[in-house]
Amino acid sequence: MTDYRRLTGALITALSLVLTTSYASAQQPDRGDEPGLIADDAYELDPEWQKQVVYFRTTEAPGTIIVSTAERHLYLVQPGGRAIRYGIGVGRDGFQWQGLVTITNKKEWPDWTPPAEMIQRQPYLPRFMAGGPGNPLGARAMYLGTTVYRIHGTNRPDTIGTKVSSGCFRLVNNDVADLYDRVPVGTKVVIRQKPEL
Amino acid sequence: MRSFRGGLLIGLAVAVLVGVLAVIYEFYDTRTLKRTVRRGEVLCGVNKGLPGFSIPDDKGNWTGFDVDFCRAVAAAIFNDPSKAKFVPLDASERFKELQSRKVDILSRNSTWSMARELDYDLYFPAVAYYDGAGFMLPRARNKETSLDLTGSKVCVQAGTTTLLNVSDYFRANNMKYEEVKFDKLDDVVKAYDTGKCDTLSADVSQLYALRLNLSKPGDHMILPDMISKEPLAPVVRQRDDDWMMIVKWTLYAMINAEELGVSSENIDEALKSKKPEVMRLVGTEGNYGEQLGLTKDWVVRIIRQVGNYGEMYERNIGEKSKLKIPRGMNQLWNAGGVQYAPPMR
Repeated sequence: MTDYRRLTGALITALSLVLTTSYASAQQPDRGDEPGLIADDAYELDPEWQKQVVYFRTTEAPGTIIVSTAERHLYLVQPGGRAIRYGIGVGRDGFQWQGLVTITNKKEWPDWTPPAEMIQRQPYLPRFMAGGPGNPLGARAMYLGTTVYRIHGTNRPDTIGTKVSSGCFRLVNNDVADLYDRVPVGTKVVIRQKPEL
Repeated sequence: MRSFRGGLLIGLAVAVLVGVLAVIYEFYDTRTLKRTVRRGEVLCGVNKGLPGFSIPDDKGNWTGFDVDFCRAVAAAIFNDPSKAKFVPLDASERFKELQSRKVDILSRNSTWSMARELDYDLYFPAVAYYDGAGFMLPRARNKETSLDLTGSKVCVQAGTTTLLNVSDYFRANNMKYEEVKFDKLDDVVKAYDTGKCDTLSADVSQLYALRLNLSKPGDHMILPDMISKEPLAPVVRQRDDDWMMIVKWTLYAMINAEELGVSSENIDEALKSKKPEVMRLVGTEGNYGEQLGLTKDWVVRIIRQVGNYGEMYERNIGEKSKLKIPRGMNQLWNAGGVQYAPPMR
């Protein structure tokens, strides 16, 4: 009898958990974060999102990072009118921003502590997750100024080229590691957004 | 009575004369805008078949960047992009055909040069696409700039300006190279594809098209450097200012629309905008369209039916199209490129 009651209790708990989770994800559909999923390193990006050297004319000094949210590209300015261009995933509508910041910190395989606002929107997210291949921040993180935003890797390479994040800029792990080795703390980062009507 | 009849005859003669003069005037009126409006369609001279720029399918439907620009002109005038009629022209005849009024406008990957404006009495109103000679090479060679091509065997077509540009470039940079040339472009591509040379040189837009025909397109890349200036532009006749203004500002309106964030997707929103630059563009303020001989909403017609410059680029030649040409120089001036339209004010 007790066993039976316990089983029913467990069933109800499980059911309500599933319901809350699905309710939460229906409220805030977020295809971008999938803690625990191991990144598929063999995933091949569309040519548009693959790292490449492109023509890029700018008055910003070589070594500057320019993020174009609308294009879903991150440019690392090079000498001679060129830039290394990486494909990125950007913030959802309403989660995009622009400004001028610097890289204030760099971390390999960073831990993840989702900010309080993010937990509020997406209650199913863990409060803390240790760094590693299943961590949505991926292989590297570069901190942007004093903001909660980062340039980081991902365990979801299929989200590159889309707008899914809460305002961070994500690259595939190979690319973020490549960028990480090229930029020191103090690097200037310009974030550009589409003009408003 | 006699004088009455005489007066009647004189009156009739004057009327006939005026009528004949009017017909002659109409026939020989050189103002393209007037002729185009009367005809009810824009005659566009285009390339017979250049993927991404202008090419007909088996049903005769034209697509491409040059084709879309002509549709934008038709949309501005007639509020109907299908009022653009395409006349395929050979490279050798194109300027003469324009001069002899067979077409109203050339939208046919033509390089703007001083000699062409002078020799043919023509005018290139604005640059639609910045092209230039460049290099394609196997990705595996891992080069980032054409300055690293010292000692390369360069496949190139004989009798082209590319041949001369390559020679100038390597000489000016004190780099050695070996020229491997063929009369036919097909042979150039075959030689490159079978590894008979290290790199292939042609205009960059052409390199992206040629890459599609290689046995493994994904294994090859095109360097971002351009070693010559090939600004591709539409062409009109000189001393035809009303028409020239429409062609020029159609292109500039499309570029300005992209810069202001106005696209075919948000054009209705743009009509409600309170930003002065957007209001002038979409005609909720000012009357530039009427001053051009069109309507206040001429830009709305273009953007709604054809799109802004970036939309036209991406659809036909950009990285989401088959050709996959990065914006490069053709990106806006404030986003890494050199496309810059004068303000509309």
